[in-house]
Amino acid sequence: MTDTHEPVTGAGDLRRRGFLRGAAIGVGAVGAVAGGAAALTGTAASAATPAPTRSTRSAFHGAHQAGITDPVQQSTAFVSFDVTAADKRELTELLHAVTDRARFLATGGTPAALGITDSPSDSGTLGPRVPGDGLTVTVGVGASLFDHRFGLADRKPARLTAMPAFDDDDLDPAWCHGDLSLQLSAPHADTVLHALRDIARHTRGGMQVRWRMDGFTSPPRPSGTPRNHLGFKDGTANPDVADPATVNRLLWVGGGTNGEPAWTTGGSYQVVRTIRMLVEFWDRVSITEQERMFGRSRDTGAPLDGTKEFDTPRFAQDPAGDVIPLDSHIRMANPRTAQTDNSRILRRGYNYDRGMDSDGNLDMGLIFVCYQQDIERQFAAVQKRLAGEPLVDYITPFGGGYFFALPGVRDRSDWFGRALLA
Amino acid sequence: MSAEPDGIAPPPPGTGPSRSRRPPMWQVAAAGLAVAGAVTAAVLLSGSGGGTVEHSAPATAADGLRHTAVDASTGSCGRGWIRPKTGTQVFDLRNTGANATEVYLTDPHSGKVYGEVEGLAPGITRPMVVDLGSGSYAFKCLQEDTDAVTGPTVVVPGTVPRGPAAVPVTQHDLIPPTLAYQKWVGDRIGDLGRGVKALEADIDGGDLAAARRDWLSAHLVYERMGAAYGTFGDADGAINGTAARTPGAVQDPDFTGFHRIEYGLWHGASAASLRTPAAKLVGDVKALDDDWSQERMDPADMGLRAHEIVENAEQFELTGRTDYGSGTNLATARANLDGTKELLDRLNSLLVPRDPGAAKLTATLKRAEADLDAAHHGDTWTPLDRLAHDQRQRINADFGDLLEQLAPVAAIFDVRRTA
Repeated sequence: MTDTHEPVTGAGDLRRRGFLRGAAIGVGAVGAVAGGAAALTGTAASAATPAPTRSTRSAFHGAHQAGITDPVQQSTAFVSFDVTAADKRELTELLHAVTDRARFLATGGTPAALGITDSPSDSGTLGPRVPGDGLTVTVGVGASLFDHRFGLADRKPARLTAMPAFDDDDLDPAWCHGDLSLQLSAPHADTVLHALRDIARHTRGGMQVRWRMDGFTSPPRPSGTPRNHLGFKDGTANPDVADPATVNRLLWVGGGTNGEPAWTTGGSYQVVRTIRMLVEFWDRVSITEQERMFGRSRDTGAPLDGTKEFDTPRFAQDPAGDVIPLDSHIRMANPRTAQTDNSRILRRGYNYDRGMDSDGNLDMGLIFVCYQQDIERQFAAVQKRLAGEPLVDYITPFGGGYFFALPGVRDRSDWFGRALLA
Repeated sequence: MSAEPDGIAPPPPGTGPSRSRRPPMWQVAAAGLAVAGAVTAAVLLSGSGGGTVEHSAPATAADGLRHTAVDASTGSCGRGWIRPKTGTQVFDLRNTGANATEVYLTDPHSGKVYGEVEGLAPGITRPMVVDLGSGSYAFKCLQEDTDAVTGPTVVVPGTVPRGPAAVPVTQHDLIPPTLAYQKWVGDRIGDLGRGVKALEADIDGGDLAAARRDWLSAHLVYERMGAAYGTFGDADGAINGTAARTPGAVQDPDFTGFHRIEYGLWHGASAASLRTPAAKLVGDVKALDDDWSQERMDPADMGLRAHEIVENAEQFELTGRTDYGSGTNLATARANLDGTKELLDRLNSLLVPRDPGAAKLTATLKRAEADLDAAHHGDTWTPLDRLAHDQRQRINADFGDLLEQLAPVAAIFDVRRTA
């Protein structure tokens, strides 16, 4: 089936069916050229994550995937899948299908008219015309995809492993790992859910959801970086993604360097951690103790030795931690020394809220997502520094995984995983 | 030129579609309108159009699509389409007649339908979104109680491949497979009667191990007949109903049938305590058998059932909702696939020319069967909660994929008039 992408060019239909509903066989067979797509709106842009100059020609195509350096959006779904495709051919078909749907959903257009031959091609939850709406689709692959099933063992990104349990973790296997990760983000929850429903419908035979967490970003309260459920601004000290030297050093993987296979160029390691926050407990903690645990003022987000959110903490002038305790979160996570500078990560966290726990407490927390060039050098190093921080009494990491965010889809003939599966 | 240029013979009298064609009015109305239909159909438009009055200029609307206003009354069916173009577009169909009408966009040569609007009320305009390639098209207006009228043939120029379409399935087409299927179900009711009597005998004789074995055999016979649950009406609740989720609901005297007995057989109940439920089941199956000769399955249900059986299997078996202790949901799901296959086999000759995914559907069904069979070991089936994670994900994937491919079957077998 064929959806009509913007602008409408009246593509004739080739009904394409592989083992998946509407899966692509021969990508790019259909005429409409994506163009004139709306630029990302990013209404919930984090001040710490300036909007990059993404091509306005397409919200979807590029050397890197969308949803990594883009500002966080208001609504997200992070979904991990088990791939059920039987072999490499079916995996290829699956990734074609994901690409086709992602391209259409992110670009927008009129869903395919199937006449009397099928139920409607679109759920209609966004109205008769899919608006694009700044949707970003970010696809990652887990270490398990490189097992015996698809003959990809020798193509695994050099630093991709299953996520280990860190000190203070309480991992639930049902909430961990996965063959493939999919993060959908948009300014509106209906756009995210529409995309998830659409992609799932077109890929049912090839992958099944392993775990899923929906999230949101709060608006600035009253300004600056959005706050998490603990009331603190989260993501203030992100690297500057507009600086090419910074992203090439901290974010993007270069194939053929550092032992990475050639196909990985333009990708990035993705770490996701679902972290429960014990908000009732937290609310019973004095403000002084809360602020000393983070090392920042709750109201302004300023480091405790500063006055404004983006003031740089001067740890060197406070060697004993009299102002910013040595075991505070910001000090342990990012000591701001020359030695620790290359362990910095790009954080893109979202809040989650999923009802109640069995003891009557609110079940809410953080979908911690970060990107980096090297998990061990960056996320894992930070996480190990944080072992035993006072904050751990109020949070419980219970799930997540390590993934490799694939290189971007460059144009209409390209697809997720092309270089990997070539 | 007749109003029926596509060569499809109208169904013989008495087997026409059930949707509100009252014969007396049909006769009267047809006499007057056949003339109008013939006249309109004679106007042949080619490419750039001409010959009919321009009804309304095509325009691009807020949805970004090309819109064309088209008359959908029998007197001027299809009037207004004078600038044919390829691509996804909208026909705004207005019923200027006095009665509700169905409107199809057809290829008058092949009889394939590219788009439809059902139940278009008088004075109302509704959109038909279609994806048009190059070729011949004509609107067909099927007003209630009158013969179909086919409008002028319009040729969309160029060499663009055509969008999805299918030749409609009529009630007439579906009568032979429905009768064959109904007969098959009748034969299974005989098997079911023997099966529940064996179960009753085991319980009466106090042999609960045999009862558990014969319970499964008889239950699977019933589950293979799943397609007919609508036809069985209230009997289905008595034979295969479930209890509410509330505590103690399994003790409810209204909870009867297979699952009531299953609950007892797998929860240490005494043989004596199961005699009454077993006798009740035998009686309910006998009542079903007695009534069966009076039952008539609606041919319009054939395609729907094919997907609804699997929908139910996913909803109630793959979730374990219907497990009362035997842990045989996967066996039930497998029997449901058998039942689906009985329907599909009888629909196959109608389906294959209409659904390009028919071969894929067969392969997907086989894959689901094979993955369920992997959980079948001699007389036993792996309970749902003991499946390995990857095995369960694969079965879920199989059923999800199968359901997506059964959706077109249900759509294609929606009964349509052609005359």
